[in-house]
Amino acid sequence: MDSRKILIVDDNADIRLGMHLRLKANQYETFFAADALSGVAEARKHRPDLIILDLGLPGGDGFTVMESLKQIPFLAVIPIIVVSARDGLGTQKRACDAGAKAFLQKPVNDDELLAVIRQALGEPAGTKKPTLYDQGSV
Amino acid sequence: MTEPTPRRSELTAHLAHDFRNALSCIHQFGNILVDGLAGELSDEQREYVRIMLENASKIRKLLDSALEGTADSQENSTNKIERVSKLET
Repeated sequence: MDSRKILIVDDNADIRLGMHLRLKANQYETFFAADALSGVAEARKHRPDLIILDLGLPGGDGFTVMESLKQIPFLAVIPIIVVSARDGLGTQKRACDAGAKAFLQKPVNDDELLAVIRQALGEPAGTKKPTLYDQGSV
Repeated sequence: MTEPTPRRSELTAHLAHDFRNALSCIHQFGNILVDGLAGELSDEQREYVRIMLENASKIRKLLDSALEGTADSQENSTNKIERVSKLET
């Protein structure tokens, strides 16, 4: 079976790399964008199965990206997980109201991210070995 | 305690955002190392990364506590303004 494709839209190159390594280890294929405009362009080009979207982006924020994707029928159906360092509940509600499947605040728990991805993609729950962070020991 | 002004609240939100992004990288790459995604670590190396992650978690908790304090203070300040407005009307 082909790997599922995930587009990571985040302006922080280190975070893109970290997510790529984690997702690759879990058999996902990743694509990247560092700003709002290329986020939409890369989604058009690769037609990912899922998008991980930061909110604070150059050239328009994550909400702009979600709004643009909604206007394009074949992209409007792609599940979006918002992963942001912004504050709290207000942002979470706004993201979910805008159509996000889930909102996770950075720093993200790897297991939680993978569980949310699998759920959004309709995959069975995974068996990734828990990390020290996931176990709550750090 | 000095009450937060809108400018200070904005600055705090920015700082918190940048702290979370930096902590996110530390957690991501620390766990990548611990999980052996970049090659197996020796026990000693694993212990050092564990210490690093443990301290990153402490910073995160401190940040969350500090922000809760700021939010409480801001809420109190808003309530006070509302009470004063009601008294004045």
